[in-house]
Parts: sequence; structure tokens; C-alpha cells
Amino acid sequence: MTEFPYLKDQDAVEVQRGPEPGGVGGAYRAFGETLRGLKTTMARLIEGPLTIQYPEEKTPVYPRFRGRHKLHKFEDTGLEKCVGCSLCAAACPADCIRVVAAENIPGDRVSAGERYAAVYEINLSRCIFCGYCEIACPFDAITMGHDYEMADYDRDDLIFTKEMLLAEPIERTPLRAEGE
Amino acid sequence: MSGKEITLIVDGREVAATEGEMLHDAAKRGDVEIPVFCYEPKLGEPVGACRMCLVEIEGIPKLQTSCSTPVRDGMVVHTRTDQVKHAQSAVVEFLLVNHPLDCPVCDKGGECPLQDITMGWGPGKTRFTDDKRHFQKPIELSPLVAIDRERCLHCYRFVRFSQEVAEDEQLQLLERGDRTFVGTFDDRPYVAPFHGNITDLCPVGALTNYTYRFRARPWDVEQAGSVCTLCPSQCNVSFTVRDEQVKRVVARDNPDVDDGWLCDRGRYGFEMFAAEERVTEPRLKGAAGGADWQAAIEKAAAGLKAAGVGKVAAIVGDASNEEGYLVQRIMREALDSENVAAGRAYGILRHDLVDISQPALSARVRDIDAADAILVIGTDPLHDSPILDLRIRKAVRRNGTKLAVATERPTTLDGGADAAVRYIPNATGAFLDDLVKSLSGSGDGESHFGADASQIADVLRDAEKVVVVWGENVAWGDGRGLLALAEALNIAEHDGAGMLEVPELANARGLREVGCMPEAGPGLSQRLGGMGVAGIRDGLQSGEIESLILFGVDPIRDFPNTARWKSALAAADHVVCFSMFENKTTALADVVFPLESHAEKDGTITHPDGRLQRVRPSASRPGDIRPNWGILAELSLALGFDTGISSQPSAFAALAGEVPFYAGITDGDIGGRGIRWQEGPAAAAFPTRPEPSGDPVELVFENEPGETTYTEARSYDLDVSTYRDLWVGPITELNPPLRFLSPRQTLELSPGDAERLKLEGGDEVTVSQNGSTIRARVAVRERMRDGTGFLIEGTASDNANALPDLAGTIAAKIAKVGE
Repeated sequence: MTEFPYLKDQDAVEVQRGPEPGGVGGAYRAFGETLRGLKTTMARLIEGPLTIQYPEEKTPVYPRFRGRHKLHKFEDTGLEKCVGCSLCAAACPADCIRVVAAENIPGDRVSAGERYAAVYEINLSRCIFCGYCEIACPFDAITMGHDYEMADYDRDDLIFTKEMLLAEPIERTPLRAEGE
Repeated sequence: MSGKEITLIVDGREVAATEGEMLHDAAKRGDVEIPVFCYEPKLGEPVGACRMCLVEIEGIPKLQTSCSTPVRDGMVVHTRTDQVKHAQSAVVEFLLVNHPLDCPVCDKGGECPLQDITMGWGPGKTRFTDDKRHFQKPIELSPLVAIDRERCLHCYRFVRFSQEVAEDEQLQLLERGDRTFVGTFDDRPYVAPFHGNITDLCPVGALTNYTYRFRARPWDVEQAGSVCTLCPSQCNVSFTVRDEQVKRVVARDNPDVDDGWLCDRGRYGFEMFAAEERVTEPRLKGAAGGADWQAAIEKAAAGLKAAGVGKVAAIVGDASNEEGYLVQRIMREALDSENVAAGRAYGILRHDLVDISQPALSARVRDIDAADAILVIGTDPLHDSPILDLRIRKAVRRNGTKLAVATERPTTLDGGADAAVRYIPNATGAFLDDLVKSLSGSGDGESHFGADASQIADVLRDAEKVVVVWGENVAWGDGRGLLALAEALNIAEHDGAGMLEVPELANARGLREVGCMPEAGPGLSQRLGGMGVAGIRDGLQSGEIESLILFGVDPIRDFPNTARWKSALAAADHVVCFSMFENKTTALADVVFPLESHAEKDGTITHPDGRLQRVRPSASRPGDIRPNWGILAELSLALGFDTGISSQPSAFAALAGEVPFYAGITDGDIGGRGIRWQEGPAAAAFPTRPEPSGDPVELVFENEPGETTYTEARSYDLDVSTYRDLWVGPITELNPPLRFLSPRQTLELSPGDAERLKLEGGDEVTVSQNGSTIRARVAVRERMRDGTGFLIEGTASDNANALPDLAGTIAAKIAKVGE
């Protein structure tokens, strides 16, 4: 018989214990529990496999998923919404945004305001995807997109420039349907 | 202000204050912050324009503006009652009614008092739904300052600056009510030497710098405190640095130096650091592109060694104390030559300097504020040390200080002066002699400027605390006149009286005290036998000097007699030139080393009043520039002499060890505000004044002043002298935003002379002497002395330095172009 490191009658408080292992009772219990587990397996068998074949298939994301950032333009005028105010850079806890602003030249406007972002870079290898930049932006110029495939072979390639952030992602990440 | 100590109660705290002080200031000392927009003590009397500082005072039924309410003993003040809070939030809401709230675009965003106060005391919501007031924006107020009239709160700060500090009276609030806007008469550009200060003063983004437009946000930058070394004022500045480059210069308030103002030269001069003409690597003559550091140092050392014993010389210009100290050590210890000089032509003799620099005679900058009378002699502070101009104006305006101006050329201070006289250029000695006679009442005997001198003497006579602001040239070659003046004014006896020099070089005092003088070593110790700048020039031509070090000077541009300097430099066997920019001098040099700018340099400098200040490295050095002290130490090693200096602190320690009156001053003492060595631990070690000989002071003049008065029989038209303009040199030429200020050569003359020579303002003339001719435009100026004209030194073309032999007058022939 197995030696227990403590004795039943020495419990300071009353303790509920399972049955002692071994014996016929033990064997019955083990078999019974296995069957109980298998019941769930058998019941789901008819539903078919749930595995998603990544990367051929992608997990759909929720609408508020915080993926790679996007910069936006006005649909009517084509001007950039970003005015280069640097508030995103101020809000960023990872200090991964760099903005260098410049002044719009009349006749060759880049943004709607007096200033625009001449340089807008996000270092995605430092970004923690907290979405503070999106909250800080007074012009809704930056939003968190749905892309999560950003792995790369070179850290330098993870610094996204303004052009990359303005461009539509090459492949769209599927979005979860309503109520899914 | 009576100065009586009283107590009052602010928000339940007992606060000690001085009677007559404004409530806002007293509350601030008691750690109670009252929000303000318009109040700024530096601008003079409060105006109570913004209504932000309303507080409740027991016994007064209505709220009072704390910025314009003097404290009384036993006053009970509440700043946080419901009534006050309601008023504050109403004021903010009202101010924001017409504010465009374009913070994301505005340059002030992040460092804006309006943002801060709105967050702290504002209502958070507006009830205003109508269209806001609209103006055209942004407009050029000047080529350097943009104005956005929509953002303006009408706080009057800039108007008060323009009227009460700079006294240029150009800015005004125009129109009335909600149509009020800031402007100048007829929309003319606001161009003034101090106008950049309004961008620091503006509590919103209405006035912003074009040079900083959209460059950075406060969280993108670091503020690096340092000292501006562009002129002897040595204002404390703070560099706004982004990506290791200076993006902006703002004032760092130090009442002992600059009173929190900056001139536009210091504020906007920084863009020349990145000029294309900047020397960014060592260069050898004849070789294309830069040279290797080691090779350049070896070449420089070989050339210096090749010269015969004592046939080497050095001229120092823009340099820190450490750099000047190292140059003189290389000369004296490594090369065994005493020929070290600083400056352009003449210098002050050692024994005069010892006399004039006695702690009892020297004034602090702060003494100007409390002086009874100020004498400005031989200098126009606006051009030579701009911030002193504001300081003197402040004393005159606020404290009723009497001002006497005695100069060769009209100054900007003449308007507010009790007496302003002109003397003949180079006759300072004669004028001082007459002034001293007039002051001591022995006005009889021969005098050249009797009436003028007695005008000045009348202003100074009854004053106790007299501050004499004197230009370096007053004591050139002979400082006895100045000493006699100090004695006549009894300066040594009165606390708060003193002499304050305005030298030509930014760090002239420091360079002299570390030994960059032909006849004085470190600590003004007596040396013998060195040559001054003029001697070095002649020595180069005659072969007495073979090898030359130029440190931060450009003789061809800045020194008198360009032609002789050109031939002197061409005659030299070997010229080592340390220069920030490529210029005509570096083109003649055998080895050119790059210099650091004052934003890159690490070192100490000495203010003309004796204040040691630290220049701290703030930005990165472009190209392959190395610290100047390091190059000099290596050059010394290559010459076979180990200075033992391996860092800036070790350089300062070495120099403090050799300058007895700097001893014991540490980097910690200097700190961010500097320390005057006169107040340091070793001030008593200053060389003592030699015993007065007892003989009456008798002055000897090279040119008898009487001869220079106009006579019909003369063979020339006008005595022309030269002056250094504030805007001359690389500061404007290599600096795109300031380029519009770069002056054209101008011949200034009095209306009498203009009539005599049949000239009018705007005429093009040629000015010639001894075969050299330059072109100039005529400007007729009031308050000039008849028979004297002025040209500008150091202009890019038609440099007046081409004409005189040494600093002095030019007996010039003047001809109208096209006749």
C-alpha cells in the first residue's frame, strides 16, 4: 500500500477525499470516465473538422481587431487626412511613430490643413498595437487595420513609411460576420 | 516700491510678500498658481487685458485681477471659490469663442499656455455654435515671423514688448472690438533687431517663427541649455534639438546676463551651422577633398616646426577659454614664441587691463538696472552687444536712470539719452581728457570738445552709482583716459558703480585672461616681447614671421587693410587656419581645420563682466568635425609637447590652475548661470594695481585731434571711419532666413556734409583712399558730426576694410558714380 505523507486522522480541518486508487473500484472509475469523455468526442464527430488551414485559410477577425495601421485619404478630394500634428507620436507608449511635418504649398497640396506629414513612419517591430494613436488622432487619419501578417526577414523592412501605410493591403484579412 | 515685508493669506496659506508687489507674484511664491495670459513682469506695468487672473479678495465685492492688484498687509484672497471658478471658466470660454482651435496644425501645440489653461481652468465644453471670426492666415509679419490673427487673444504682450522693451513702437492693435488685430502701420514688415522675442512671449500660436514652422513638437525635441557666443553679450540660450540638429533657439532667462531676451542674430543665426560653406573636415592646400586627420595634424605641425625660433605667431578670434588657453600654450611652450594676439588691429595693454579690470572698478550687468546714471562711450550697444541696448533702455524707462552717450557714430540710444554727443573718430582720448577736466571742474585750458564734454559731465556729475559702458577701442593703446574717468566719477568708492566693457570679440575677456595677449600670459601675468596683430602682419611681410596659426579669425574680411593682409598671408610660409566656414582666408591657408559652432562646442567663456559661463554641446557635429580642444592637444603632441589635456574638464582644470583668479571655480559653480570670478573664491589673486606714480595723467595722441577738423584746403573730401554692423558677416550671408538683412555698403554722412559734397540719400558713390576704391550708397543721417562719415566693415562686397591701414579714419575722396 502506498505510503501517504500525511495521515487522515491528523487533518486539522475536515477534508473531502476521493476514493483510494487501485482495486476494482478504481478500474471501473477509470473506464467510466473515459467513456464519458468519449461521449463528447463522438457527439462532435458528425460536425466535421474545425481546423483552419493557415496560411491557405485565415482566421476572420472581429471588426475592432487592432492590426496593422492604415493612413487615410479623403475620398472626394484625395488629400491626406493626416496633418502631421504628431499627437500619435506623443500618445505612443512604445515610441514607434516618427512624424516630420512640412508646410503645404498652394497648388500642390498634400493634406487639407496648412501642414502635412512629410515623413510618417511606424516601426512595427516596436509597436504594441495598443491603438492609442488611433484614439489620439484628431482627424481620424490613422486607424488600426485588420492585418496581422507582418513577419519579415529584416527589421528594417518593419519600418512602414507613409506610402506603405496609405496603400491598401495586398491581401485583405477576412472579417468575422455579424454574430459569428 | 517701499520694500516693507507684509503677510497676506492666499487660499488659507500665509504668504510673505513685499508691499507694492502684485498679488499674482506673491501668490506664486506661496505655491498658488493663478492662470494668466497677458501678465509678464518683464514687460513693465500690468495691463489686466485678458481677465484670466480674477480672484476674490475679502472686503471687495467684485472679483479683482490679481496681476494688477498690489498686495496689502492682511489681505485675504481666495482663488478657488465657486465665484472665481465660474469666472475663470467663463473667461476661457469667451477667449475660445474666436479661437480657431486648430491645435493639430498650430506650431504652439504642446507648449501652449492656452491649451494648458483650458485644460486646467476651462469649462471643457463650448456653447458657441456660430461661425468664428476669420482672417487671412498665415501672414508674414516679417520675413521671420508669421502671424495668425485668428488665434490672437489680444493680450497686448507683443505691443508692450514693441513699445516698452524694444521701444521700436512698430506693433499695434488695430481696429476695435472683435475686429481687433495685431499689425504694423500700413502693413509694413516688422523688422527690428529684437523682434523674434515676440514669438517667445505670445501665449498662443498667433506669432510663430518661420524658421521653426512645422519643424517639431515639444515631445519630439530636447531642450539643451547653452550660451550664445555670437557677440559679447553671451546671452543664455536653450537650443531646441531634434534629430541632433538645432531647430530653434529660445531665451533662457538669466537676469545677470540677458534678462530673458535674445536678439535676432542669436535667435535665427543657427541655420548657418548647416551652411554648405561649413568646413566639415580637415583640408590641405592644393588637395581636392578632405584630408585624413592624422595627416593634417602632422602637416600642420611640420610647417610650424619648420619656422625659425620665435618666427611663429597666432591670432585668436572666436574661441572658448580652453581653446585660447591651448593656442597660447602651443605658442609659448611648444613653439617658444610670445606672438599670441586676439582681436583685429590694436589691443589693450596689459597694465591698463590690470587697472581697468580691478574688481572694485568692474560693473555687473545687473548694476545697469539700479544705476543712477549710465555713460555709453565709444560703442553702440545695438551693434556691438545688442542685449545691453535693451538693458540700458530698461534702466532709463523703468528707473529713470540718466543716460549719457558719447560716441563717434549715432547710436540707437541717442533718442532716450539726456545727453548725446559725437566726437571725432580716434579722438576718444582727447574727449576723455576734456570730460575728466569738466567733471573735476578744471575746465579751463586747451580743450577740443569743451561744450560736448560738459554736457556729458552735467549728466554724470551728481550721480553716485555710475555705470560706464565703454567700447574696447576707448582703451586701445592707452587706457589712462578711462582710468582717469573712473577716478573722476569715484567709481571704486560707490557700490553699484562700475565699468563694463563692450569688447569686439565675443570672448575677449576670457581670451585675455587665459593669456592670448602678446605681453601677458595666463592670469594677465607679465610677459615680454610678443607681437600684436599689426606686428604679426608686418612681420609676415618682412619675413620676421614665417608660420601662422589663425584660430576663428578671417583677416581678409574682418581686419583693416585687406590688401596688406592678403599679401601678408601669401608671403607666409605656412598658415594653419581653424575656421567654421570656407572664406578667402581659408583659401590661402596650407592646412584648414574645421571649428565647432557654439551649439557643438564644450567649453567655458568669460562674459565682459567677469562671469564664467559654460557652453555645452547640444547638437551633433556635421561631417568629420572633432572637438577643437582635442585638435589643439594633438597638434601640441605632434609638436613634441604634451599638454596633458585629454578632455574638456582637464583643459578647464589646467587653465584654472594657471589663472590664479579662476582657481577654485568648478564646473558645479559655473552651473547653468555662470559665476563671476570677482565673486569666486580666488578673486583676491587678481594682479594688483601698480602704485600710481603721482604724476598727473597726460595723454599723448598720435593724431592731434584738432587737425582733423574740416578745412577747405584739404586734399580729401571726408574723414571716413568704419563700424561693425550687427548684420554683417556669415551670420546673414550663409543663413537663408537672415539673408535679407545682409547690409549693402553704405556711406553715412551728416546733412551738412551731404550738402557740401552735393550728395543726396540713395546716391551711388565711390570712396577711395590711396588707390583703393569701394562703392557705397549714401545715407544722410542726423546727429552725425560734420566732417565724419561712416562705412560698414566686413560686407561681402565693397568691404570698408579695404581702405584703412589700421583701425582708423580714412581720408577719403568721394565721387558720385556716373559723373
